[in-house]
Amino acid sequence: MQNKVMSRKLALGVTSSLLIGSTLTVEAWAQDTIRIISHRQPALEYYTSQMEGALEDGRVSVELMPIDKELELASITMSSGSDAIDVLYLNDSSLKRFAANGWLEPLDDLWEKYKEEYKLGDFPQSVVDAVSYDGHIYSMPIMSNAELFFYRSDLLKENGIEPPSTMEEYEQAAEALDSNRMAGTIMSLKPVDAALNEAHWYINAIGDGWFDENWRPIFNNEAGVAAINKMKEMAEHAPRGFTSHANDESTINLQQGLAAMGLQWFTRAAAMDDPTQSRFVGQFEWVAPPSGGARIANDGFAISKFSSADKEEMFKMLAIAASQESMRKGAEYAMPPRLSVLEDPELAEKYRWYPAARQALENGKAFPPIPDFLDVGEIVTRYILQAVIGEMEVHAALNQAAEETEELLASRGYYD
Amino acid sequence: MSMIVTTEKALSKRGQGARKTAPGSSALLNRGQVLLFAALCIFTLFNLIPLLWAVLTSLKHPADAFTIPPTLVFEPTLEYHKEVWLDHNFVQYLSNSLIVSAGTVIISVPIGSLAAYALSRIPRQRSGPILSALFTIRMFPHILLAIPFFVMGSFLNLIDSYVLLILALIAINQPFTIWLMHGFFSDIPRDLDEAAALDGCNSWQSFRTVILPLARPGMTVAALFSLLLSYNEFLFALVLTGVDTKTLPVAIASFGGEDISSLSLAAAGAIGIMLPIVIIMLLLQRHLVRGLTMGAVKG
Amino acid sequence: MVRWQRGLWWFLLPSFGLLTVVLLWPLGYALYLSFFDYYLGSSDRTFIGLGNYVELFTEARLWQSFWTTIIIAFGSVGLQFVVGFALALGIYKLKFSARLFTMLLFLPHIVTPVVAALFIKWILVSNFGLLDATLLGLDITPPDWLGDPIWAKISVILADAWIFTPLIMMVLYAALQTLDQSLIGAAQIDGANAWQILRHIIIPALIPAIIFTVSVRLMDAFRFFDTIYVLTGGGPGTATETITMYTYQLGFRMLDIGKASALGVITLVVVAIILLTINKVLTRIYRRGD
Repeated sequence: MQNKVMSRKLALGVTSSLLIGSTLTVEAWAQDTIRIISHRQPALEYYTSQMEGALEDGRVSVELMPIDKELELASITMSSGSDAIDVLYLNDSSLKRFAANGWLEPLDDLWEKYKEEYKLGDFPQSVVDAVSYDGHIYSMPIMSNAELFFYRSDLLKENGIEPPSTMEEYEQAAEALDSNRMAGTIMSLKPVDAALNEAHWYINAIGDGWFDENWRPIFNNEAGVAAINKMKEMAEHAPRGFTSHANDESTINLQQGLAAMGLQWFTRAAAMDDPTQSRFVGQFEWVAPPSGGARIANDGFAISKFSSADKEEMFKMLAIAASQESMRKGAEYAMPPRLSVLEDPELAEKYRWYPAARQALENGKAFPPIPDFLDVGEIVTRYILQAVIGEMEVHAALNQAAEETEELLASRGYYD
Repeated sequence: MSMIVTTEKALSKRGQGARKTAPGSSALLNRGQVLLFAALCIFTLFNLIPLLWAVLTSLKHPADAFTIPPTLVFEPTLEYHKEVWLDHNFVQYLSNSLIVSAGTVIISVPIGSLAAYALSRIPRQRSGPILSALFTIRMFPHILLAIPFFVMGSFLNLIDSYVLLILALIAINQPFTIWLMHGFFSDIPRDLDEAAALDGCNSWQSFRTVILPLARPGMTVAALFSLLLSYNEFLFALVLTGVDTKTLPVAIASFGGEDISSLSLAAAGAIGIMLPIVIIMLLLQRHLVRGLTMGAVKG
Repeated sequence: MVRWQRGLWWFLLPSFGLLTVVLLWPLGYALYLSFFDYYLGSSDRTFIGLGNYVELFTEARLWQSFWTTIIIAFGSVGLQFVVGFALALGIYKLKFSARLFTMLLFLPHIVTPVVAALFIKWILVSNFGLLDATLLGLDITPPDWLGDPIWAKISVILADAWIFTPLIMMVLYAALQTLDQSLIGAAQIDGANAWQILRHIIIPALIPAIIFTVSVRLMDAFRFFDTIYVLTGGGPGTATETITMYTYQLGFRMLDIGKASALGVITLVVVAIILLTINKVLTRIYRRGD
């Protein structure tokens, strides 16, 4: 008995000292490590590994996770002013939200200082605007992304259909290709992010957009109702289960020949030609989304205002990852925002989807540049989905959404 | 005294059980038993399909994983398992998970047992409300606890350390542990305490020398459920850990990404995360059923 | 209080001390925040009294998500209970291999919940999920498991039941082991049939275990989240939008911490009332059964 007690006490002691010991070492070590958190996808895996390579071994630690988890973690961390995160990936809408909340370090001075050295002038103004808020630059542009229109060229040819350039043609094509075994088009309507992207296209292509110039909602006007009605019609040609489909499911539907075409991100294009994933390698082609107005996004990496690491060093690390040389390789995974790389004719030869992508950049549209658009999206998406699946009448749903949107924006001081 | 009798009864019951399962007792294999056995087999098989399918998925390339009709014949690949364990640092995450789970279990079960014992020995009208209050605490959405936990962690500079995560897990684990152990202790007759008191033991001594040994099977059960909870917890682990202390569930979640080849990775990771706990379960299984049998939940 | 009972309060100290510091503090903090208009993005918050509560109670969405939660929670706990009880009885009656079955049937419960939801998704997801693809391969057009409002609810219930039936089974199986065999024997001699034995002897004896499992499971079912988040994200439309999904959206997506906290408090109160009622009813049945 005595022995047993002794050994148990010993075990407890050892465990607790282990615990304390490990905390201490972790803290000592954490001081000069730069912690980066990011969404996981191939392009970002590539660019974060470039960041790791930019500084000596072990200085940079990268954590990749789905964007919803990343934003949750970042919001909790930064709202409490913690320095636990140094650098983070942000897309256009979340960048504006984080910047407006005062959670990000403005990069203007460093940008000026290193403009020459890292050829930052190579980024077009539109990209710089996309990573700015209220006149300050807040993140290092890493990739441009655009929704493209994916289609199976073999099927279209067989049926004598031209790749659609308007919503009407898109609907006709979807109707023609819709069969028992194959859906006419993919639609990604899982709440919230996927569905918001899809709705964004319809609201811009058929409707008049989300807001007027005073940030009053206009998506519930006649054109907006027509847009969502069209969405509802198109849903008849979507694969079963489309309301729970996000990008992954839609991609698989295309790769497995379960859907003939549809809207999907640029970053998914390469996967169509990957034989370990796709059953129709070489059969896919791309055009800019019919009628335009599909989402484009410029994403980058920002530095936390609360970071206790050396901000200049972190800026340089980001700039190296976003250098011309790095982006030339990164072009395989995502559109490089640098003009000199993007317009390189070699790219189009190497990657078949680049011409369509450049066009999509021209005719696409970013989310409205307000910090609260993600919140608006939460509200609106919910009603649009209710309308699309018939839980609510379209016009009533949109009116309700507009009303709540206006309420929200009013409470955030938009109309003062 | 009565406890010893009970234990003996339990033992003799187990003895019978052992005899029942002995080979050669074919007289027991009547028709009802065979039907029951068949029904359970079929149900078990169906019940395990999602698991088996996940195992298959982890051995496939995505092109084979999502087909109509499902592909059963394919060239298996261990690539994704290899990638998960070797390239994605799963070994480190596993050791983090084990440290966190062990820390939780080692602290949670003893202090929960202490409290449960006390509650089982004080008048019901006083323990009743406390137990209900514990239950109520358990119902608060975890989402809303995550933010205060983080605030506390960053205030104490304990983010990315094991300590706070373990404390948080112990805390959310306490209500269940106390309830479970309360059931066990209530089953142990008070005569034993009184006898010990007559022998001059104070309450600590009688707990330590008389009651605790009898409650050991119950503690095994409590330990197992604490282990399951702490090993699988995701939200607090996400918020409170960092590079060095990240646990397996958080690591797994990082594969739900943009690239569908990560579905195969996710499957491989998911199978990987299960294995350690399956092994622990296998080792504990005997104690588990016995522990529950001893009256865990007799209220 | 007798002598040996003295000092028992000290036993509560470590556990309750920790609970106070680690759990009650955040709970109190959340309660406090529920009286504020607090957007996580801005550092200032305004006291608005019961404003959040009034706002929540007047919107249709709260009630709708409550109903959805109740349907899903009771559906899944009911299913789990029936199946779990049947399994426990089956294994109890089985005279061999019982340990093997408890082991195999318990397996789904040890899978990390997020992962378990993913496993179910790979079975149900349209076109390439195992079940869906198999049916399609047989030329049967399956229902839209995750996309039809009714089927989505059923799927979510099935998924939750898959994960938690083993827990109920295990606890009830263990409780069955403590059953007094002589009572059953006596009843059999009296000519009671299997149903009567179940109804009048087995179930009354199991009531404490039943209360325990049903309460614990209902509590968890009311805040279960991962499964729905992974399977349907609350869709189609709002068909599977539970109260926790709503809390998540308010707190984590829209960073409206004040309102989210108020919703948390409301949930707590409602679930507490439901549980107390159920406990009372079951206890009454128990007393009568005695």
